[in-house]
Amino acid sequence: MALGAGRSALSALGPRYGGELRIALADAATRIEPSAPRGLAERILAGLVHETLLGVDEEGRARPALAQSWASAVDGREWTLRLAPATFHDGTPVGSADAVRGLRRFLRSESVAAVHLARVLDGGEEYRRGSTDALAGLSALDDARLVLRFRVSSAVPLAPLASPAAAIVSARGAGAGPFVPTTPPSARGVSATAFGRHVRGRPFLDVVRLSTAAATDRGRPDGGSADVTSGGVSLPPATGLLLLLLDPAAPPLAEGRARALIAASVDRGQLARHFLPGGEPADVLLAPTLLAPLPVSAARGAASLTPVSGRLLLKVASDVPQSASQRVVAHLAALGLEVQAVAVPAALAVTTAGPARLLVWYPEVAEAGLALEELAALAGAGPPVRLALEAADSVRDFDRRRAELQRIEETLRGTHVLVPLARLPLPLGARSGVHGLRATASGALLLENAWVEP
Amino acid sequence: VSRFTEAGRRGQGLRGRLLAAFVLVAVPPLLLFAVFVMALVSDRLERAARQRLGQGLDGVRARVSGLQRQADAAVAAIVREKLSSTAVSEDKAHTAADELGASHGLPLLEIIDGSGRVLSSRHWPAGVGLPEGDREVAGTSDLRWETVAEDYGAAERLAVVATRPGTWAGTPVVVRGGFLLDATMLGELSDLMGAEVALRDTARGRWVARADSPLAKAQFDPSKGDGTADISGTVYRWAAAPLGASLWEVIAVPHTLLAEFTRGVRRLTLGVAALALLAALTTALVLSGRIAGPVRELAARARGVGAGDLEHTAVEASDEVGELARAFASMTHELRTSRERLVQAERVAAWREMARRLAHELKNPIFPIQLSIETLRRALDQEGAPDAQRFQALFRESSDTILDELRSLRSIVEEFSQFARMPPPRLAPTDLGDLVERVLALYRARAAAVRIETGLAPGLPAVPADRDLLGRALGNLVANALEAMPDGGTLSVKTRAVEEGVALEVSDTGPGLTEEQRTRLFTPYYTTKKGGTGLGLAIVQGIVSDHGGRIQVQSTPGAGTTFTLVLPVSIMAEATT
Repeated sequence: MALGAGRSALSALGPRYGGELRIALADAATRIEPSAPRGLAERILAGLVHETLLGVDEEGRARPALAQSWASAVDGREWTLRLAPATFHDGTPVGSADAVRGLRRFLRSESVAAVHLARVLDGGEEYRRGSTDALAGLSALDDARLVLRFRVSSAVPLAPLASPAAAIVSARGAGAGPFVPTTPPSARGVSATAFGRHVRGRPFLDVVRLSTAAATDRGRPDGGSADVTSGGVSLPPATGLLLLLLDPAAPPLAEGRARALIAASVDRGQLARHFLPGGEPADVLLAPTLLAPLPVSAARGAASLTPVSGRLLLKVASDVPQSASQRVVAHLAALGLEVQAVAVPAALAVTTAGPARLLVWYPEVAEAGLALEELAALAGAGPPVRLALEAADSVRDFDRRRAELQRIEETLRGTHVLVPLARLPLPLGARSGVHGLRATASGALLLENAWVEP
Repeated sequence: VSRFTEAGRRGQGLRGRLLAAFVLVAVPPLLLFAVFVMALVSDRLERAARQRLGQGLDGVRARVSGLQRQADAAVAAIVREKLSSTAVSEDKAHTAADELGASHGLPLLEIIDGSGRVLSSRHWPAGVGLPEGDREVAGTSDLRWETVAEDYGAAERLAVVATRPGTWAGTPVVVRGGFLLDATMLGELSDLMGAEVALRDTARGRWVARADSPLAKAQFDPSKGDGTADISGTVYRWAAAPLGASLWEVIAVPHTLLAEFTRGVRRLTLGVAALALLAALTTALVLSGRIAGPVRELAARARGVGAGDLEHTAVEASDEVGELARAFASMTHELRTSRERLVQAERVAAWREMARRLAHELKNPIFPIQLSIETLRRALDQEGAPDAQRFQALFRESSDTILDELRSLRSIVEEFSQFARMPPPRLAPTDLGDLVERVLALYRARAAAVRIETGLAPGLPAVPADRDLLGRALGNLVANALEAMPDGGTLSVKTRAVEEGVALEVSDTGPGLTEEQRTRLFTPYYTTKKGGTGLGLAIVQGIVSDHGGRIQVQSTPGAGTTFTLVLPVSIMAEATT
């Protein structure tokens, strides 16, 4: 009791500097350079090491990061960003030249946000294709300001800059995030120490260690007592989408009827309630915080009685809770399918091919239009959807744009290639005495304000 | 055995036959012994293996039955005591089976409603609210393929279960609980029994075995009951028994252990047999040596006797062979005595013949000499003065006769002397054709009425011969032939190659020889000619013999005679060497 009282008292004193936070994850991050994250470990590492020019809030609006302010001109087709006084981990100041270099690299990356930015930026598509190195739409005004000129006006022109792939690094590759990596990422994990000159101030923690669960268990005499582990009490908000991705070219999924039956067969309520702790049923592709859903009408009960036969290989991302996967498999088996579930690393779940994939999807940028573009790419959607997305992006009226995006979401979902099943929080749980952990809508873990009781 | 038999068959001696007999007597029993022992051991090992497999099958069946009873008791207790009191709220319903199963030690527990929907499941919680997908193993209700949560999906696992009806919150339900017959349990059974234990569902074509079990790769049909199977290069002996209509318990042990043991026994048996055979052979060698040694020695003695050696040497033997040796020695002694007597008699006879011939030969010239001298004395002693001219004529005639006879006497003496002094031949490579031509050249002038033919084979090898001696022998034969044809005829001299060397034939077309003449032809001093010494052909035979050759005669009365000299050529090599 005395100990408990002591701990309560320490907690009540508020944040403190110092301490080490050990995070055990199922998978290890394998790359540290700015890129579109391919799993929880890479999302967390990107948030620790790198900083972008802007962030976005839940409604897709820009928030300051390395850029402290911005202003538009020419009917919203020219945006000037002013950089905050910031420093990279190697001690060099963050300048507009670094930002321009970072964005040029970003424009040629695999990121869906980069595709979007290249499409709207003046000269962006030619630059992305590599046909020219000239990029009229991006230039530095002086050391602290850079200008982005757009070919067309966009509802959320700066949102792509919030992508982790658009992080700004120094000429020598040093990041500007709240923690400085002290070891290169490996299969065992990576360590990082607090960066005292971070743009938003020094984080409370001294050290953050990311390691794989296996490495933690093996390497520690206390049996792997990590402070934050995957599989513990989940960390809200529930923005991760448990997504069943069906390949319309693979039998027996080639028939729309079969895909529709599969989409209708899963009892999402039961799934979320009993098999996904902290989860919520998902009838639509985007979280309500990103895009308010339209009413969904689906005759599930009757559809589930119709049998669908055939074998189905289901690739399950390793960050999907096993109980949820088993439930999905049970539903598919009840339909008459002979399902073989095989696990694939979470980082590869999006890029690997397969007749059916079950994965937890987070948007690269928590903005509805960009998220739908990402989903459309994932589903291999055709030109109509892409054109509709471009059209919606040009709508400056918020309500109209939202309506357009809702229609697109419904269209995407209606092909039953993307089957939303549930929405789940970040599958991380912290031991008592760890405070200030926060998950983003993009599935990253914010540790700037995290602190641990001594 | 075949070699010994063959050796005996080819007559390689008494010892070989004795050895063959020993082998023939010793080997079959040894082989029979070895075969019998190996068959006995194999049979016993086979029985032991079969018994072990049978016990293993019984053990597996007992274990399954035990689990079934345990499951039945636990499920009965759940239905009777716990089910009615278990909370049935929606949240609790999901975990009810897990809690009940845990409290009763049942890893499998499912509560199913009347429509076959899973209300709660311990081993497949993902199936709650969905139709159960389990299948009975044909022919039994206790063994089922249960859907079990596994990794990110589900798997069908074989289980032994007990099923009981019950009531849960007023709703009729079926409670089914049991144990997995999975790789873990079969691995434990395998370790316990020291054999590979597995289950085979022939209807589904699936093996249930521990992860590294070789049986998982086996292809045999368990309905055959037992057998051997080559699995990944290792031969296993297996036995199977049904647990259901299509489910078989299978137990297998590496046949290599049995085979290695059998091989060891076989090697030991063959080793013992080989040792026994070796001992038998050694004994046979010693015994056959002891038996055949004196016989072989006796045979050598007999060959010596045949060659003329009658010296007695004792043969060491004490048995029947010894008796034979002693009898042989006695016989040799008698032979030697007889031969000595015979030699003595022949020597006396020869001297007598010699004396007779000598007297005969000498008597012939002596009588004319005596007669001539007596004639001269009478002429000298006649009354009155002898007519000088008549006495001179008479003296000249008588002295001529005496001189002629004296020459005849000298000739006789020289011939005898020549026969006595015949030297050993000095062998040198000699061309027979050339020799023939040279000898015939000497006689052509004296044989005007005789036609001389030669048939000299070309390319004959040179023979080792003393040209003078062989020329004299050939000359004797030619002279004899010419004398046999005083009224003319044909003399034929031929040479040809024969197996033993070179043959030289001298043929005439004279009156031929009678059988009696032919048999005595080479006896010294035997002659059919008036004034002959009877030494000519004896000398020829002596020369030919000294050359290592032989002489033979063929004659037909009234048709002629042919002498054939066969001379070897191999002596040449020895002489040259």
